[in-house]
Amino acid sequence: MKSYSKFGALAITGLAAIGVLTVAPVSAHHSFALYNNEVTKVFTGVVTRVNPDANHLQIFFAPMNAERTNVERGADGKPIIWAVEMTGSAAAADQGISVGSFPPGTVFSVAMHPLRSGELAGSREGGLVQCPAKTPPAPGKHCDSVTGSTPHPAGMGLAPSKG
Amino acid sequence: MRMVVAVLAGLAISALVSTSALAQGIADPGFKSAGRGWPMKADANKFAVTGATMRPAPGAPGFSNVPGIPGATPATQPRVFVGLARDGAVPPGVTPLPVDMFTTKDFYKDRALWSDPRYFRCNSPAAIEELWGAGGVSLVDAKVGPTTAPWGMCDRDYPRAAIVSPYPFKTAQAHYEALLAETKKRGGPTIHTYATVPGEWTGRYQHPGFTPGNAYWYRMRYNQTSTILSLLTPEYQKRMVQETYHQGTSNTPQWQSQYCWPEGFMRRWHEFAVWEHYIMVTPDDVQIMAGVARNFVTNILVGRKFDMTGSVPHIGKDVPRWYGETIGFWDHDSLITWTSNIQGWKVHAAYEYSNKLQTIEIYSPNRDARGKFLGLNHEAIFYDPDALVEPVRIVRSYVKLSGLNEGDPYVFIECVPTIYPVKGRATSVTPGQTIEFEVPDMYGRPWAQMWEKYSEPGMERPKEEDIFSFGKEK
Repeated sequence: MKSYSKFGALAITGLAAIGVLTVAPVSAHHSFALYNNEVTKVFTGVVTRVNPDANHLQIFFAPMNAERTNVERGADGKPIIWAVEMTGSAAAADQGISVGSFPPGTVFSVAMHPLRSGELAGSREGGLVQCPAKTPPAPGKHCDSVTGSTPHPAGMGLAPSKG
Repeated sequence: MRMVVAVLAGLAISALVSTSALAQGIADPGFKSAGRGWPMKADANKFAVTGATMRPAPGAPGFSNVPGIPGATPATQPRVFVGLARDGAVPPGVTPLPVDMFTTKDFYKDRALWSDPRYFRCNSPAAIEELWGAGGVSLVDAKVGPTTAPWGMCDRDYPRAAIVSPYPFKTAQAHYEALLAETKKRGGPTIHTYATVPGEWTGRYQHPGFTPGNAYWYRMRYNQTSTILSLLTPEYQKRMVQETYHQGTSNTPQWQSQYCWPEGFMRRWHEFAVWEHYIMVTPDDVQIMAGVARNFVTNILVGRKFDMTGSVPHIGKDVPRWYGETIGFWDHDSLITWTSNIQGWKVHAAYEYSNKLQTIEIYSPNRDARGKFLGLNHEAIFYDPDALVEPVRIVRSYVKLSGLNEGDPYVFIECVPTIYPVKGRATSVTPGQTIEFEVPDMYGRPWAQMWEKYSEPGMERPKEEDIFSFGKEK
């Protein structure tokens, strides 16, 4: 009975872990197969808009240049805008990610699985790190290198790049 | 000309006579309250529309002395012009400005003129919206252009003093707390049970826009546009002039529900966005449902408190909600509410509002002399420090039609788009048609982005803050 309980506890823990890892796709309103989860890109960018939609909160941002002095721009001189999709706005708010906490101009870093199509959007992987106001990281670095940065959710860092 | 003047005079007199008995009532709480039931400084029912507009002629089918119901009569019915001049003519006795909204090349440069009613040719925001035929009758010669816009009545204007809140509060929180404190002092709030809750409220209520005697300023028909602008901060003045210009001059109206975009919180007070109201009362939740193109569902959660952390007071997560979140308490059979956590948005032919908008609303029973329940008086005070230079108030009534066991039931609306923005213009499309669709920046004033891209050639907008530069460029 005792060993069964231990086994049960382990099983429940394992299932819970799987549940946490898969909670976004399982509770989503669309398939995540549109994203390439074998590739992870890490960006540091400037927020242009937070869409606090119930289905998925999205942050639109302009990736910063390598020098971290400005943002990458297209041939027309306009900032190139990417989108990162994450959990619903209510769950994101629990992680400290909301319209109020990420106003336009906020510098942050995030890892994401990009679209298979190559378009400029991805699905967030791991934590999201917010730089202090108007304080981008050093050239080539991300917000997790900046003193006073804030991880969202607390304690979760950036996922490493791969692929 | 004499005949037109006579008709106008007749219209004005008949409007005054027939509406004098339909006062814009405010519920008397029966005691001197700190923040509800203060008298109106003017009754909008006693004001004729500012125009310019075509109204059904006296005696014609659909003629009504109740101002502000365009389109209720088919366009083929006889109508009379209400205004000072048509076809771009300058009214006698009026000195026009060197440039106005209908002749300007860049309205942004005319800010100094926005406070003058003549910049809008003395038209109300609603009248400007209808110049190109939004209500079925056009008053602009499309072959010539907006310079042919008519003049409204320069001597008509609902007083600004009757629009702004009469109460001394700077915030909705202070207002709500004062009302709660005075209610406590009087032995409240009332804790209702299913046995005592005013169940007579439950039922269907008449379309507020079509309820006789229910004129109120926010219908945007009784004011000079410049008077409405005087309520706004400079940024929101600019936004409203942009809205007004594109309704009346470029003829590129961007009404949110035409694309099945959200209607937004303030549209509940627009005369056409909500029709019959369906109200259901329980001890814990008073629910109000209404709508036409979208659903407006207001849940007044009785006895709840706001979480005061985050951007603005909220009940659930710190996420702006299109129609806000509402708490309230009962004072006997009056319901006092506070709404916060509203997603900022727009109302066409009116002004935009911000995420900081909060309201205090008081619902009180309207009864006849014998005490029979007739409906509800709805007093609402609006606080929005980003948009408004001071709080404003709207008072209107809901007339009960029946219980929920009679009449048409509430229809849950799924808005299916048939009109799409194509190169900045609302365009009806057909199945199978291919269009170039530009994804709107939904939380970035998508209507304005279309105007700025397609309908403001050569204009110089005020520069926006550069959020992309950090330090010295190499």
